[in-house]
Amino acid sequence: MWFYEKKTQYPVNIKKPDPRMAINILTQYGGPNGELAASLRYLSQRFSMPTKETKAILNDIGTEELAHLEIIGTMVHQLMDKVPPKELEKLHVDTIYAIHGRAVYPSDSNGVPFTAAYIESMEDPIANLNEDLAAEQKARATYDYLIRMADDPDVIDPLRFLREREVVHYQRFGEALRMVQEVMGKKKYF
Amino acid sequence: MDEQTTLLEQIMAYDFALYDLQLFLDTHPSDANALRDYKMALEQSENLKRQYQAKYGPLTPRYLPNTTCWQWINDPWPWDPKGGMNNVVL
Repeated sequence: MWFYEKKTQYPVNIKKPDPRMAINILTQYGGPNGELAASLRYLSQRFSMPTKETKAILNDIGTEELAHLEIIGTMVHQLMDKVPPKELEKLHVDTIYAIHGRAVYPSDSNGVPFTAAYIESMEDPIANLNEDLAAEQKARATYDYLIRMADDPDVIDPLRFLREREVVHYQRFGEALRMVQEVMGKKKYF
Repeated sequence: MDEQTTLLEQIMAYDFALYDLQLFLDTHPSDANALRDYKMALEQSENLKRQYQAKYGPLTPRYLPNTTCWQWINDPWPWDPKGGMNNVVL
């Protein structure tokens, strides 16, 4: 089971609200390559993992993704904090406001609600781990896009941290894939 | 039931009691009775976890027994109590 600690994994302290950036970042909360999808993907797939190493890595990365979800939620909240509705209208982010106000809701940047259709969980651990490698790369690319759009160091800094974690996860999933292939006695080279 | 499972289920019972009290205390932060019960259950839980982890290894990755080997990944994981690959057809 899980236990909550009252801290984020990486510091988030955004002083200047930026509603447009908030909506752009929102896709990493409830979008197709977002942290919620990542966490649910790994925490569901861990039940199909065949070795203790791969059970542990899916469990532990799935858990870390929940911490990333909290970082993204904190960023969206701070970027939207106390911005007057008229201001949101001027910046063309008023359609999200009309639905949710300034709340943090798991959707992509277009307001499309989160769906489990973003993830797969199969009995075949090789299928799962290949999906996980792709997912980490897609998330890394998304953080790249977000960093290119951002100009506030308070925003860029946590985004860079999250992008780096995607790279580390990719590495660990690659190792997990090789372990499973060895166990299954069907080595595949890419 | 083996000794490991018995001990683990005792920990689970105390930790559930703690969680239930936690929720109650969230909305009743100055309830002295609940606070006293929480303290008692916390001591029991901590004591049982000390025993369990010394004998059977980590319940969390933040328990590092005096050893050169990373025991966190070891079986049993809660969803495969017998450990290993029993329920995975390769």
